[in-house]
Amino acid sequence: MKISDVIVIGGGLAGLMAAAVAASRKKNVVVLTYGSGSLPLASGAIDFFNADNPEDAVKNLPNHHPYKKIGANVLNTAAKFFIDIAAQANLPYVGRVNAQIPIVTAVGTLKYSALVPESMDASHLAGKKKIFVAGIDGLKDFYPKMLVDNLKKYFPDKEFQTAKIDLHLLGGRDITCMDAAQLLTDNEQILANELKALNAGVDDAIIIPPILGVMGNFSRSVVQTQIRAEIIETTCLPPSPPGIRLQRAFMKYLQSSGVKFFENSKVVRGIVDGKKISGVVVENAVREKIFRAKKIILATGGFYSGGIFMREFDNPKEPIFDLPVFFPEGAENWSNVNLFDDKPQGFSTTGIFTDDNLNPIDADGKILFDNLHVVGANLGSCDKIFERSAGGIAITSAYKAATI
Amino acid sequence: MSDTTKAIFTGDRCLSCTSCMANCPVMAAIKDYRGPKLVGPAHGRMHFSQEDVEESLNYCSNCKSCDRACPSGVAVSTLNMLQRAEYYKNHPHLRHEDMLAHGERMAKLIRKIPFGATFSNIGMGLGKTLGVFSALGLAGERNMPAYASTSFKDKFNRIKQPQSGKKVVMFTGCYINDNEPQVGEAFVKVMNANGYEVLIDTAFNCCGSPLVVTGFLDEAREHADNNVARILYWKSKSIPVVTPCTSCSLMLKEEYHELFGEHEMHEAATNVYDAFEFLEILQERGEFNDNLKPLNQKLLYHVPCHLKSQAIGLPVIEILEEVGGVKVQTADAGCCGISGNYGFRKDKYEISMKIGENLFNRVKQRDFDKVISDCGTCRMQIHHGTDIKPCHPIEILAAAYK
Repeated sequence: MKISDVIVIGGGLAGLMAAAVAASRKKNVVVLTYGSGSLPLASGAIDFFNADNPEDAVKNLPNHHPYKKIGANVLNTAAKFFIDIAAQANLPYVGRVNAQIPIVTAVGTLKYSALVPESMDASHLAGKKKIFVAGIDGLKDFYPKMLVDNLKKYFPDKEFQTAKIDLHLLGGRDITCMDAAQLLTDNEQILANELKALNAGVDDAIIIPPILGVMGNFSRSVVQTQIRAEIIETTCLPPSPPGIRLQRAFMKYLQSSGVKFFENSKVVRGIVDGKKISGVVVENAVREKIFRAKKIILATGGFYSGGIFMREFDNPKEPIFDLPVFFPEGAENWSNVNLFDDKPQGFSTTGIFTDDNLNPIDADGKILFDNLHVVGANLGSCDKIFERSAGGIAITSAYKAATI
Repeated sequence: MSDTTKAIFTGDRCLSCTSCMANCPVMAAIKDYRGPKLVGPAHGRMHFSQEDVEESLNYCSNCKSCDRACPSGVAVSTLNMLQRAEYYKNHPHLRHEDMLAHGERMAKLIRKIPFGATFSNIGMGLGKTLGVFSALGLAGERNMPAYASTSFKDKFNRIKQPQSGKKVVMFTGCYINDNEPQVGEAFVKVMNANGYEVLIDTAFNCCGSPLVVTGFLDEAREHADNNVARILYWKSKSIPVVTPCTSCSLMLKEEYHELFGEHEMHEAATNVYDAFEFLEILQERGEFNDNLKPLNQKLLYHVPCHLKSQAIGLPVIEILEEVGGVKVQTADAGCCGISGNYGFRKDKYEISMKIGENLFNRVKQRDFDKVISDCGTCRMQIHHGTDIKPCHPIEILAAAYK
């Protein structure tokens, strides 16, 4: 097999982004994935950092923080590239690094994010006359009344109305948002008719679960053009249509750029050639296959996705290249029993340390491999869920690794 | 490789993350199937009585998209197939299931009758026209695959091969043997051009894939035991077993062991190669014969699901792009929908065509000279859905050898 310019290991947000950025620079790219990646489980909204001004906030982080390695200057460029990839697949996003755009969660709380699918943008909710919340017959995990009760806490003076709409989804399995979205793709009129019957006016909003198709903005356009009120999608439990749309947008770009994408390909080790990794070994059911490249990007998803694991306590492993893994020593620093309080979780900071090129380093700061770049959730020293930086670190580190 | 790859041991790794649901083509097509997660990993482990039957189990097509989507290594579709076999322990098979599972038996019978293939083809044409297939539970819209007048194994004896110390045993697969012997001939030509003499082992059975998906697991096990013994025999002689059928190669390499878990099944599997995987290995060793005449063709490649599951990259592209002027573009349009004999069932025909719609639309763009696919039933489905007849990539390669 020919030597590619770049091999990306992993097909989550960081992996797809890295592959897309590299491909946009005319690189010959191979993506190796094991499992379909995290996007079908994700909301599709991207946060950079839990601060009023993430761009400034990331400049004042401790030196070992991933954003310090990535560099604050990458944030805007990466965000722009991300929005552009989505737009090319007719999946409009709104926002920028410093934006705080509200989206409505499935339970009716507001969550503020930087980059948001246009279909979920709830910025104008405060100015609406009346807010309709439409549940779908047979759809599980979406309760209009609970949603309204919670949303009222934000908008106590607003008029709310719940509605139940029938999309003829009964008579099979329990329907998830993904099912409804798939069944509505190319079959949107039934939803449009039901929403029309609500008689919502031009100053109103209709909140629905995220069921407007699985292909970009196509289904949404069909429905919205027939409805005067603004339709707003919420987040949902997985599988999540907004995440699936984003994944498909990236896949569309990768396919049209000639990126080779290999599923079910579990990378078990690298081929070490001094300070370089000259290729990686994929193990299938019966034998191994070598994929060679000039540059390797490790986007295997960190602790939550098998990119890092810990079989024995205090002994975390990065299974492919056996990279040193940072983690908080001592059981007392490992977890914080108060799950939702104002302190991060120690275990969640587990990850790999790098230099400014995202090359992995050891405890002494020595670069281990100079053509291997670590991105996304693999990067250690911060609790990305606590800081709400997971998406931002994924796309910015991917952008940097792909452009070095 | 340890016994942890045996499907029944993988179910405990399921985190219920729903990745399999997000990637299941059957779920996307209809709402009756409860989905891979709830059927195999969940219900498969949790049902304790004969009466506790998950009705929607019969919707799984065993395309294995769920296995590939799973981040935790759960053999989801194989768990479904094991569950299906459980079901048939206490429920009778329907007529058409018996027919679809036993294509090999039928073909052998027909080969014993003079002009059997011709008469069966006429019979199948009539059967379709008169609605007999439909009455039997088969998809009346489809042509049954026509039998070739001479099977590949019969043709094979007449092929003059240069003798060589380097040999491979060809596992023909039923479809190539009985329906598309020209694929087998192309295979022999390619192997010969690369210095290999091809052997045929008539003691091989059908790989058993059609039996597994229709719940004839005991019979599949007999096929597995026989085939594994034969493969081990060839392994002892250091002769690899190579097959141009991707569902056969997946069954021999991976599914036997997943289903039945015997160590020798894995042992045998290490001696089995997909045809283009084998050629790519030759290429990497610098032993591939690249003395090829240019063909100047633009090819649209539908990658079969069962090839994607093998984690061998896309060797067809690596090899065919050695041929001057050949450009291979992947179709990237998902599962074709037929999934072995699934789309031949009357009650699954519409689902199968709906799943294939993306691919049909892609093929109908006609921005290529030929469609290629390594899987026989994928080729049938593309032909049925588009009226454009695809060929096996090995036929392209064979044409490039002078």
